[in-house]
Amino acid sequence: MAGRDLGMNAGEAGPAAGDREKDAPASAGLDMEGSRRPGTPAATRVGPQVFVRLKLRLIAGNLRGNGVRLAGFILTAVIAVAVAVIGFLVLAMLRMAADEVATDIGIVLFTVFLVGWAVVPLLAFGLDDTLDPSRLALFPLRTGRLAAGMFATSITGVWPVAMLIVTFGAVVGLAVGVVGAVVGVVAVLLQFALCIVTSRLITTALSGVLRTRRGRDVLAISVVFFVLAAQLPNLLLNGGLSSHPAAMLHDVASVLRWTPPGMAAHAAADGGLVAVAELAFLAVLVLVVGRLWIAALRRALVMPDASTEAASVRNSRGLLTRLLPDGPLAAVVGKEFKYARRDPRGRVGWFASVAVTGVMAFSLNQGDTVTGLAQAIGPACLGAVMIGLQSSNSFGIDGRSVWMNSVVYGSGRAWRTDLAGRHLAVAVIAVPLLTTLVVVVALLAKDPLSALPAALTAWGVLGAALGVGAVTSVLVPYTVPERLNAFTGAAPGQGGIAFAASLIAMVGGGLLALPIALPVMFGLTWVSALAVPYGLLISWAGRHLAGDIGFRRYPEILTAISQGS
Amino acid sequence: MTDIAEAVRTERLLKRFGNQVAVGGVDLVVPRGSFAGLVGPNGAGKTTTLSMVTGLLRPDGGVVRIDGLDVWRDPVAVKARIGVLPEGLRLFERLSGRELLSYNGQLRGIPRAEVEQRAEDLLRIMDLAESADKLVVDYSTGMRKKIGLAAALLHNPRVLFLDEPFEGVDPVSANTLVEVLRRYTASGATVVFSSHVMELVERLCDWVSVMSRGQIVAQGPLDEVRAGRSLNEAFLGLVGAGGEGEGEEGLSWLGATSA
Repeated sequence: MAGRDLGMNAGEAGPAAGDREKDAPASAGLDMEGSRRPGTPAATRVGPQVFVRLKLRLIAGNLRGNGVRLAGFILTAVIAVAVAVIGFLVLAMLRMAADEVATDIGIVLFTVFLVGWAVVPLLAFGLDDTLDPSRLALFPLRTGRLAAGMFATSITGVWPVAMLIVTFGAVVGLAVGVVGAVVGVVAVLLQFALCIVTSRLITTALSGVLRTRRGRDVLAISVVFFVLAAQLPNLLLNGGLSSHPAAMLHDVASVLRWTPPGMAAHAAADGGLVAVAELAFLAVLVLVVGRLWIAALRRALVMPDASTEAASVRNSRGLLTRLLPDGPLAAVVGKEFKYARRDPRGRVGWFASVAVTGVMAFSLNQGDTVTGLAQAIGPACLGAVMIGLQSSNSFGIDGRSVWMNSVVYGSGRAWRTDLAGRHLAVAVIAVPLLTTLVVVVALLAKDPLSALPAALTAWGVLGAALGVGAVTSVLVPYTVPERLNAFTGAAPGQGGIAFAASLIAMVGGGLLALPIALPVMFGLTWVSALAVPYGLLISWAGRHLAGDIGFRRYPEILTAISQGS
Repeated sequence: MTDIAEAVRTERLLKRFGNQVAVGGVDLVVPRGSFAGLVGPNGAGKTTTLSMVTGLLRPDGGVVRIDGLDVWRDPVAVKARIGVLPEGLRLFERLSGRELLSYNGQLRGIPRAEVEQRAEDLLRIMDLAESADKLVVDYSTGMRKKIGLAAALLHNPRVLFLDEPFEGVDPVSANTLVEVLRRYTASGATVVFSSHVMELVERLCDWVSVMSRGQIVAQGPLDEVRAGRSLNEAFLGLVGAGGEGEGEEGLSWLGATSA
């Protein structure tokens, strides 16, 4: 707000403002927007390349002298290169398909890419590491430059580049002739830009919304709409002929064709006047979304970091913490509950888990091919793994404040108790959540009896996921920045390790879930009776292992989770 | 064990970050019951030393003993004895001041009623009673240091380590901190704090360790170290600062009206 006010004053004050700017360059430093005069005499143009270099330096600096982090980065790079190459080839091979079909597939894929960019950063912390714009707040950057710079840093990264390469496959696969290729390249660039700015707008806007209490309530309700909205393509799919894939594809594409990514794909394939019109529309859209993003960013920058709940909090103890015996376990459980309620990062995590699980549950419910039991178990297990995933970096979420625990804990047992407290808190929230989900889905599938085995299995899977998460929390911890995931998931250069941690937790949790989930899904319902003991066993084993490892390497964990972003 | 007169003793304590030696074989000694100041310029290794002494950072070499107990071999006994207020002071931001104290006390296994009683006392003495139910994230720097100190004192430690406790603290809060610390040392406990405010160290401490470039360059009772001069003069002499006027020519643009 201060910057804006100063800028407006400088603009209105006429000649006097010019003098002031000359005398005090510092005031120009706050003149971020509103002023129409050219920059201060000494200032050279700050191009996007400066931001790119800054981002690269931050990444390099964070990797220097840290083998684990370097390994994580290399792993990410290798996977990203593989994705880029395979994706590019797949899209390029559309050339071999009939024109009509190729265009349809292109349209669907482009839409999937956009949706992916919008949703994935919300679900997976740390996959993308951007510059924190608050660090730039004091530099004399006009909106345009800041936008260009932030955009440049956003695309400087392994995943955006991989994405760009994949999308370029569409030029090879769809474009016809030289003009077509030129139009295709523009279409691909616009599609890519749209993906980036949409993704940024959503995360930034959401972080702003989550800061206020009303925003949180709105968001909670919007989960329902989100789930319903996600049903639209699904309904279309099922409305079409599922026996005739090509016709179904065409049906879907004919609708998606009018969405922005659909237009991009259509333009790449069309290459004519219609394509030019579509590209013009896309360009305007990118600018508008970009503009909104920067507006959201500015708002976020001058808003207080916290949820501004300066009001007192109720000094209450939950029922559970009152029931638990006095001591560290009760302390950790109580703290975790308060954090789940008060920390926006925690809320985003729960929001994402519930939303995705809900979408999955309803999507599966539309098909007639799967049985009621599988319908209930699939999403419930997925939800359990996703909730477990949130605990794959337990200490990272607390960040630097974990010193407070580590100056107390003098044994592996103490660390184990800490993890047990975290698990207990998660379970108390997750178990009713999963149960509700399972019951709703089972009722919808008109197979209420399947709720019991499905619920048991989901609880077991949750236990397994938590066990794996405990181990990743101490083996591959990483810094989660204070400023929510909106601007960034992990500190620059830690994206790789965050990715590795999520991957290990997901694959590990998934694999350990199979022994109970698979038999139940294939009809051996009695196995679900073993699910809960199995889950408890795995989570106990995970805590046991993690407690000892945690105690042995807690100074290293502290360092890993205290990186500046 | 109780015949050991030193609250803290390190032997050849060593820490490297890459090729850089942050702490190069430090023998820090603090007698029991003293109010000790660890002084040195920025980058001298004060924070690194205190982190290793309090078990927050693993040393590359050397031994740390607190009340004769090895910090890295006997962590349970040591951790029960020490209170820590680290630099930067990241606290659990989403807890209120009162909740932070009771979390801390419960982690240490102090009975709940006792924790609540002690927290109430500390909040009152630190002048935080009115803000006790506000979230720590909304606290000012001075309030954060005070609640941090309260958390460090809650379990009645024998030795208290404070890293830059007065940095960024307003005079009123600083005064409160000083009063509490004085009362605490008067009971026979030991305080070790790092600072580069010489006047403060001179006023509070009876024991001083001077660090420079990862080494202890002087250590002993305050009067011995300053040897008749002011501590500031003695300090500047010890760390080899001088060279006034350097770089003045390179700053010709600063304050000039043309640019």
